Amino acid sequence: MEKLFQAVYGGILYGSIYGLMAIGLTLIWGSLRMLNMAMGAFYVVGGYLTWTAFKLWGVPPLLAIVLGVLAAALIGLLIQVLLINRLLGRSSFFNAAMIATVGAAIMIESAALLIWGPRVKQMPPILEGHTKVLGVVIQYQNLIIIAVAAISLIALSLFLKKTRYGLAIQAVSQQMDAARLMGIPTVLTFMIVATIGAAFAGMAGSLLSSVFYIAPTAGYAPLTKALIVTIFGGLGSIKGTIWAAYIIGVMEAFLVVYFGAGFALPVLFLFMILMLVIRPSGLFGLGEVQRL
Amino acid sequence: MIQETVLAESGVDSIARRLDPAAGPWAKPNRVALGATILVLLALPWVLTSFSTGRFALHLLILFFVWGIVTQSWNLILGVGGIFSFAQVAFFVIGGLASGAAAQQLGLSPFITIWFAPIAATIAALIIGLPSLRLRGPYVVLLTLAFAELVRNFATQGPKWIAGGGYGLRDVPKFGFEDMLGTSTGRVAYYYIALLIFMITTYVIWRIFHSPIGMSFRALRDSETYATSRGVDPFRFKMLLFALSAFFTGLAGGFLVHYNGSQSPAILNFPLTINLLAMVVLGGWGTFWGPILGTALLTALPEILRGPLDNWRTMAMGLSLALIAVFAPEGLFPLLSRGFKKLFGRKDQAKTS
Repeated sequence: MEKLFQAVYGGILYGSIYGLMAIGLTLIWGSLRMLNMAMGAFYVVGGYLTWTAFKLWGVPPLLAIVLGVLAAALIGLLIQVLLINRLLGRSSFFNAAMIATVGAAIMIESAALLIWGPRVKQMPPILEGHTKVLGVVIQYQNLIIIAVAAISLIALSLFLKKTRYGLAIQAVSQQMDAARLMGIPTVLTFMIVATIGAAFAGMAGSLLSSVFYIAPTAGYAPLTKALIVTIFGGLGSIKGTIWAAYIIGVMEAFLVVYFGAGFALPVLFLFMILMLVIRPSGLFGLGEVQRL
Repeated sequence: MIQETVLAESGVDSIARRLDPAAGPWAKPNRVALGATILVLLALPWVLTSFSTGRFALHLLILFFVWGIVTQSWNLILGVGGIFSFAQVAFFVIGGLASGAAAQQLGLSPFITIWFAPIAATIAALIIGLPSLRLRGPYVVLLTLAFAELVRNFATQGPKWIAGGGYGLRDVPKFGFEDMLGTSTGRVAYYYIALLIFMITTYVIWRIFHSPIGMSFRALRDSETYATSRGVDPFRFKMLLFALSAFFTGLAGGFLVHYNGSQSPAILNFPLTINLLAMVVLGGWGTFWGPILGTALLTALPEILRGPLDNWRTMAMGLSLALIAVFAPEGLFPLLSRGFKKLFGRKDQAKTS
């Protein structure tokens, strides 16, 4: 029972983080039909800025997190404006965008290495202390992470469903040409989407900076996980991605609790390969629609 | 253009001469240039070993051959096939593991076990190709990334005779030229082996580029629907491409493990993959000479720029990748060759090509 609860709790924690990382990937795929390989770099930026704001500038932790998110969002917007917007409409858009974002990711990481040095950094917990539920130690700050992730994901869904900009994003991701004919400024929509995606990755980095360490290359592991989640949920599907994040999180936690950490990744990958063979477009995938 | 000029020159001479030679896949290399290059490459190590810095240059050349093989075969998938596979380094590592572990555990000579490397890599490529090549675009990226991650997991946490407790293969038997010929001449022997593998790979890839198979690959990349309707089976051709590319990559991996005497699983980390990707993309993916140019540039430049600029190297690489993607998506080689033709080529040539 204790183990079961441990796995569920750990799974929800992992799932929150994967959800934050993957939602940006899937949003960007939905509207732009590209993979943003710089997601890991946004994660790193968020983490480092939160640490700097808290440690060096003496900003209170919650505000430091907001700063981290804003910095990541700003860089995401910059990459969109400086690189991706110039590639729109090319026949090789998918490839070119991928190369461009890989290049951007390398630049951000090497800049982080130059600014903050190779030594890893760690934020102190936002909220000290823990409680015991059913014999499982629960850190308060993990609860904060779970809560913030859930609130942001719900807020994003509401934004997409209720606001004009959200509806514009959905329209563009369903039928770009029709959306353009209805007078939706697609390039502006792309920029909004890129900013939101980067902000969410940055949020994952800021929140996690107190759980894991921050290093220039710390973004690759969450990026890989986010890729798995988006595949599983179906690229472009918000609902699918959020479901997939928690399902994969719980699966991973179960594997770790019952079989040990070494088994978790290989089994997840094998599972994903099987998933792709059986259902190539994921749980709630959009299917293959060629565009741009 | 050519058709018209030929027609005008020769009247209605013969049907055969009306064919545009550039339209066919066949191409003959310039024999004189080829022979000269081979002679220079054969003589080079003897010149280099007489300098004090030459031995390091020789080492760099060997690395150039190894990475040149990998980038050329990756270009085959990435540029010619248009399949975004990130499994190339994984094939390389599988080759190294197969050959290294076999030599270590079975006590066989590296000259025999190196043949296990391409075979193991090809089998791995067929296994991962089976699910992923039926998919397209992002899904291939994700699946091959996942495969690379799996291989990394195996190489760091697998059984002890493979992972070596996280350090990878160590104390792998080398080819043993240093013992037979001395350190300096021994390295020349390694150079010749690397050169041989490189030449064979380059020759085969040249033939693939300039053959109906290469045309089919490019047709599949540019329009899968059209190529399929003309009788090209996408799945079979992609599998063939994958297998070919993994074969040479594995061979290179097998060579490097017996040259270094070790293989760290750290080469599966992102930096090397990105470095190789940069070589292919910078040089010009989809072109024959692109990856060779890219590999030469990115092997030599970091060494030349070593010193005060050390910290800025990765930054510069990222920047150049982004710039290439935006401003010269074809890569440097097409850019250079066009510029070269404009400057030195005859006017009519520059126009028709």
